[in-house]
Amino acid sequence: MPDPVPDPPRERATRKHGDRLLASLARGARAPLAVVAAATIASSGAVLALPAVLASAVDEALTGRGARSAAVGLVLVLVLTACAEIAGMVAGAAATASATASVRVRLTAHLLSLDIAETRRSPTGELVNRLVSNTATAGSVPVTLVGISTGLVTSAGGVVALFVIDWRTGLTFVAGAPAAVVLIRLFVARVSGLYDDYQGAQGRLAARLTDALAGIRTVRASGSADREIARILAPLPELSGSGHALWRAQARSVWKIALLLPLIEVAVLAAAGLGVADGRLEAGQLLAVAGYAALGLSFVDQTDALMALAHSRSAARRICEVLCLPVPSAGTRPPAEGPGALSFRGVTVVREGTASVDGVDLEVPAGSLTAVVGRSGAGKSTLALLAGRLTDPDRGEVLLDGRPLREIDPDALRGAVAYAFERPMLLGGDLAAAVSYGLPAVDREAVREAARAAYVDDVIGRLPEGYDTPAATAPLSGGELQRLGLARALVRRARLTVLDDATSGLDTATEAQVNRTLLEGMRGCTRLVVAHRAATAARADLVVWMEDGRIRARGTHRGLWRDPAYRALFASGGEAFPQDQEEPCPTCS
Amino acid sequence: MPDLFVRRPRSGRSAAPPAAPAGGGRAIASGWRLLPALLRPRRRPLAAAAAWSLVEAVPALLSGLLVATALDRGFLAGRPGAGLAWLGLLGFTMLFRAAAMRMMFPCLAAVVEPLRDDLVRALVAATVTRAAGGAVPDPAAVTRLTEQVETVRNLVSALLRSARTLGTSLLAALGGLLILSPLVAAAVAVPVAAALAVFARLLPVLLARQRALILADEDLTARATPILGGLRDIAACGARAQAQAEVESAVAAQAAAIRALAWAGTSRRLVVTLGAHLPLMGLLIAARPLIQTGRLSPGEVVGAAAYLVTGLDPAMRMFVGVAGSWGVTLTVILDRLAETVTVPARTPPGPPAPALRDGAGCAVLPDAATSGRPLSGRPLSGYRLEAEGLSFAYASRAAPVVHGLDLTVAEGDHLAVVGPSGVGKSTLSMLLTGLQPPTGGRIRLGDLPLEAIPEHRLRTVMALVPQESYVFAGTLGENLAYLCPSDPRTAARRVWEAVDAVGARALVERLGGLDAAIEEPAALSAGERQLITLARAYASPARVVVLDEATCHLDPAAELRAETAFAAREGTLIVIAHRISSAGRARRVLVMDGAATLTGSHRELLARSPVYAELVGHWRDDGAADGPSPRRLTAGT
Repeated sequence: MPDPVPDPPRERATRKHGDRLLASLARGARAPLAVVAAATIASSGAVLALPAVLASAVDEALTGRGARSAAVGLVLVLVLTACAEIAGMVAGAAATASATASVRVRLTAHLLSLDIAETRRSPTGELVNRLVSNTATAGSVPVTLVGISTGLVTSAGGVVALFVIDWRTGLTFVAGAPAAVVLIRLFVARVSGLYDDYQGAQGRLAARLTDALAGIRTVRASGSADREIARILAPLPELSGSGHALWRAQARSVWKIALLLPLIEVAVLAAAGLGVADGRLEAGQLLAVAGYAALGLSFVDQTDALMALAHSRSAARRICEVLCLPVPSAGTRPPAEGPGALSFRGVTVVREGTASVDGVDLEVPAGSLTAVVGRSGAGKSTLALLAGRLTDPDRGEVLLDGRPLREIDPDALRGAVAYAFERPMLLGGDLAAAVSYGLPAVDREAVREAARAAYVDDVIGRLPEGYDTPAATAPLSGGELQRLGLARALVRRARLTVLDDATSGLDTATEAQVNRTLLEGMRGCTRLVVAHRAATAARADLVVWMEDGRIRARGTHRGLWRDPAYRALFASGGEAFPQDQEEPCPTCS
Repeated sequence: MPDLFVRRPRSGRSAAPPAAPAGGGRAIASGWRLLPALLRPRRRPLAAAAAWSLVEAVPALLSGLLVATALDRGFLAGRPGAGLAWLGLLGFTMLFRAAAMRMMFPCLAAVVEPLRDDLVRALVAATVTRAAGGAVPDPAAVTRLTEQVETVRNLVSALLRSARTLGTSLLAALGGLLILSPLVAAAVAVPVAAALAVFARLLPVLLARQRALILADEDLTARATPILGGLRDIAACGARAQAQAEVESAVAAQAAAIRALAWAGTSRRLVVTLGAHLPLMGLLIAARPLIQTGRLSPGEVVGAAAYLVTGLDPAMRMFVGVAGSWGVTLTVILDRLAETVTVPARTPPGPPAPALRDGAGCAVLPDAATSGRPLSGRPLSGYRLEAEGLSFAYASRAAPVVHGLDLTVAEGDHLAVVGPSGVGKSTLSMLLTGLQPPTGGRIRLGDLPLEAIPEHRLRTVMALVPQESYVFAGTLGENLAYLCPSDPRTAARRVWEAVDAVGARALVERLGGLDAAIEEPAALSAGERQLITLARAYASPARVVVLDEATCHLDPAAELRAETAFAAREGTLIVIAHRISSAGRARRVLVMDGAATLTGSHRELLARSPVYAELVGHWRDDGAADGPSPRRLTAGT
């Protein structure tokens, strides 16, 4: 997935944070990691000791000398190896599992306490990818690191042993190794560029499939499934081409590496052979040299792990981009006693460099129905988010019954302010749980009552399993979803209810019913309603007209209606005002 | 030789639709039937790869011999030049090996790449076909499927590359032992067989745990997705703790699955001890008596020990590693893929989708004949649409959405369907176009019941334009001519007529004409996309057009123009109305109110239907504070 290119200092900063995150993961899993390290060291030691122990055990068996102490030693070594390897496997999995789980829990908690405005910058799929996939990659780093370092140490040990046996063999090895390193680096660079092409083609294919699935009703109605399949598969030759190019690149590089590494071994052997001829080395030592040269070259095994490590660092960086976002401070006081009067004092919110709400002062009277109107982008939704502290202002203060929202305990604040949205996301399982989401104590009767008030009870009754229908798969239209979201707000019986365009998907008749609930059923509660339709504004006690983040005017609908610019706000919906009636249709007047 | 060239598959990170039940034993069957079907067409490159890998093994066989010769006849014999020459020969054999490797890659590519292509084709075909059959598509499954295909590709190439080492090293160790001493070979064969038997018993456990891990991964994604998509709603509902607890439980389950798999994996290591180390201990204990009785020479003891340590031990390790980890992962994933490419009986129109070729007996797409509609039938006599006693309910105990509806729409008629939202208007549009079979009653088009009309014919005659408009990446012309007959000249003419009729010319010109590419459909506004889909339906040869709130994102003037154009077009028009104004334009109106329905002209209904009068009244009298009683609308449901 291509990252947007961040500015260099910031990128450096997140990279540093990413590495710090990986380090903290390793610290968090240090107990199992210590076991992994100990187990790896033990089994490497056993691998090194095995030939010697075996040799003396065989000697003992052949000659019958000794009291089978070497055989006992061999058993011990074999048992030790088995135990060490098993402990390493289990501890490695435990370390990875706990590192992954801890970063996932941390990331979830952080995402859940972020300012809503921050989380909306990333699409959901991105966040899920970070939570599920990037964390798994980052979580495997500690164990990978232990593996790489023991691997490199073993490799270095082999080289040292070569020098100890005969410095000439060591020197021959060291002379050949840089060429191998260069070849491997070239290979990695070439393959990773091609791999990006491959993933690009894969992404295009997946995007076409996703598009087609989103428009599947049209595909179904057109009987064009087979044509769609052909269209989705159009990037397949490209994918196949990149795949073949990857193989060709591997074929080009790999044979060189496959030739060079054994040649280094042969050269080292030749140096040792000359040593044998000169009498500097014993014949047996030639075999030891062969073994240690192979051990020295085993650093090549770490190429994959090193590549994975680079991949993991970028995963850690992506996690840190989220973890570095600041969490708004939580208040501790209970909400002030009161009827639900809401005040905005000099409130400014800056988004992407421009003020989406700009110095707003507003008193929403307790118990009133206040409508916020304006063109899209005028700052209405931001105002709605501010009212219940789903986002914090950059300047100024929002107060509920005289107490700043920042000072109020977040959980207590949720009891005082309820929300309904244009596109509510139903969570919690079945429809009943979705309505009472966050309120475990609410019973089925209260849920039904709220659903009736939102005129959605009979819609639910028509569903396969009624209130037990899983919310995720319930066949609901946009308007029905909105009414369920409304029921979810109503069941809370909060002193302030904020409705952000929460009835836009309803036809006019249903909206009229729902407006009745807003008007009569919720009398006494403060209602802040972001609305596009004149009908809603007409019923409000107070209309606030927003433009470019500021309040352009406030008053009653009737009073503001005289302004042609105000009337123009509602013209596009084709709706009329009682005093300004238009004909409902051209054919029937 | 270090095997850095095998891009090692990451352990079972990929996943599939969460619907399938867990169960280790069953997993083997369908997954392993898919693999031969995938590999069978690739026999030739497979054989070539095997042959090259044998060549690749030559230096390994010769190395011991050549080193020994270099020592005996060269360095130790005081002839370092000869020693170097023998070692040079060893270096020369390495050239063979490198060349063989170079030649093997194209063979591997010829196996693995077409295999991936086939899998992708089968999966896309199955996914689209199933969704077109009415199943709710899961977009997250798409991503997971791509990952799974990739894992299969990596695992198959890794397995192909290690199969040679696996086969030769195990056979070499046992064969060498047999030549050396049949007695020892026989004694060793017993624990090796026992180890393999134990391993076979352990495999189902490994499969079950691997499958459980994949399911736990899927479950985590499935639970986290709505929560991360609903952060605003969670904050607004004060449900942070509840959401956190839900994610945490899925995270903990996934971590437990990793640990459980690791514990099951330890058994693989015990198999190595049983199969390779136990014989070694036995050999050392039995060596003394055997030598004393003359059944074994000291040299044979040393040789046998060497075979056990350097031959059998790595071979056993590799075997349990490859089969117990890569093999298990591949099996489980192939099984999930096999579930996906097998499409349930209700399938789509048209010719059979491209499936896995040569897949006799394996999981492939059934052909379209199973869809229940005839492939050819009597010609249609007219396009009068007639519903009789039409009913539909989601489930037997749910209230019906449509109940006993009788409706006749004459050819060329213009019908508007109105009613409160959620009353079942969209369901009616699906029933009338034959996309959703009714639970009661029947529908006829001309004289034929809908189910007697060939699917292909029905889809050509009927056009349904849903609320969510489908505009795909491609040229504007491709999008507009989507439903046109294939002749490009008539198609272009029809498309331009349609563009003018529905009022999309300004849009087409702004985008740069019919050849303009639409790279990112989401960049168009909802209204623009609706205009494109309207023009597309207008240009189609359909004789019955159903607009299901297909103009909801247009402003009233644009909606008027589009609807007027469709009304003037040849054929029948049914408009599921978003705004009541659509009803005023229609010749006849169907009012849906719960399961009760009423048909008539606009004027008749104003007089006869209080519900209709109220719908019109609300629209007309939108600003009034005191409307009629709202409860009346839902009476009767």
